[in-house]
Amino acid sequence: MPLVQTKRLHKFFGKNHVLKGINLDIQEGEVVTIIGRSGSGKSTLLRTLNGLESIDDGTIEVDGTALVAGQGDLRALRQKVGMVFQQFNLFPHLSAGQNVMLAPQVVKGTKKDEAETIARNMLARVGLAEKFDAFPDQLSGGQQQRVAIARALAMSPKVLLCDEITSALDPELVNEVLSVVRQLASEGMTLVMVTHEMRFAREVSDKLVFMYEGRIHESGHPQEMFNNPTTPEFANFIRTQN
Amino acid sequence: MAYHFDFNFVPDYAGMLAHGIGYTLGLTLLGGTLGTLIGIGGAISRTWNVRPFAGLYRCYVELFRNTPFLVQLFLIFFGLPSLGIKLTEWQAAILAMVLNLGAYSTEIIRAGLQAIPKGLIEASESLAFTRWQTFFYVMLRPALLKVWPALSSQIVITMLGSSVCSQISAEELTFVANFIQSRNFRAFETYFLTTAIYFALAVIIRQALAAIGRYAIARRPQA
Repeated sequence: MPLVQTKRLHKFFGKNHVLKGINLDIQEGEVVTIIGRSGSGKSTLLRTLNGLESIDDGTIEVDGTALVAGQGDLRALRQKVGMVFQQFNLFPHLSAGQNVMLAPQVVKGTKKDEAETIARNMLARVGLAEKFDAFPDQLSGGQQQRVAIARALAMSPKVLLCDEITSALDPELVNEVLSVVRQLASEGMTLVMVTHEMRFAREVSDKLVFMYEGRIHESGHPQEMFNNPTTPEFANFIRTQN
Repeated sequence: MAYHFDFNFVPDYAGMLAHGIGYTLGLTLLGGTLGTLIGIGGAISRTWNVRPFAGLYRCYVELFRNTPFLVQLFLIFFGLPSLGIKLTEWQAAILAMVLNLGAYSTEIIRAGLQAIPKGLIEASESLAFTRWQTFFYVMLRPALLKVWPALSSQIVITMLGSSVCSQISAEELTFVANFIQSRNFRAFETYFLTTAIYFALAVIIRQALAAIGRYAIARRPQA
């Protein structure tokens, strides 16, 4: 049984059919990267996995919690699915430590000192132990994104979604975030990423999913796919990436 | 033309003036607090379109923002008894202040909530917050912080507007001034002093609100 499974997922934005029957299995510990041109539906697919985008048809199941055509226990699902965003989205009125502590306290009812221990551990994990009391606007983009990763990890999710998490960063800050992701992958964290960092995707992914016009057009092991693209669309996509 | 100021009456009326100042501050404190709470409720209802409150708030806000405070006060004090609701001057004055400020603060706080970046709400939803948790922990403080200067101004305006409550014999500062002036016929001195007191009150309230904004609402290092 895969950890994450979607079946015949359909999504419309008005008349625009953006996801056309997505079937995707993600095993525990797997690192899956979704690639494709903008407008291919990759971000939308990622955002349906924790219910940020509703689905019009099909099912999503994460570790036994199911959404069927958008109906189901959304909060139970979201406790199992962490998410990191392109724009970090840290709570601006809270320190880095408080950002990480908040969800365990509010959602899980964790005691304050226990939440603080969790937050200190998570910040240490992303290399920011000394930034516990810093506020988001006192941190660089890369640091903010690492705090955002720590914030998601503090809820002990089964799977972490990363939506173009380096796209808003200055080039020199990309690596510090990618190395945190690399480390998570090596620790066995299940990851689903949308990224434009092709080299990174090839390096860390167990599975590559190429989206084209709302469908999974091609998927498989990254090396094999890059070496032997089976569809002209994917071959085209690779050419334009380098 | 020389005018000879005579403030000798002040000690005789010091007690009354203090009473008037206290009354005005009481109206402002209670009116400001309850008005802001009503505004938060209204802003939530209108932002999320909570039925039936969104519609009710909409009518209420339009009604109170488009009619004079004095008329609202008269309607409450002289009109409601016809429905069997008889209020004392203090109760009527407070009710009018709260309702008036509530209408303005609803719009002010709503603007603050609308200015919250959508990404923050998505982030808290992703962390499995309920809508109320998102509102309370993620939206409220940044929203209040953003509109705090506007809200503070509105509270000061409402405090100054409370002088109108003298018209229903609520014993606030202007009522006291009118009373003193009718006794000593020193209109210039009496209202000069009253002006100075209002000015001082406004400055003090502004400073106090700014301090609340800085220490209670704004971010601060962990204690």
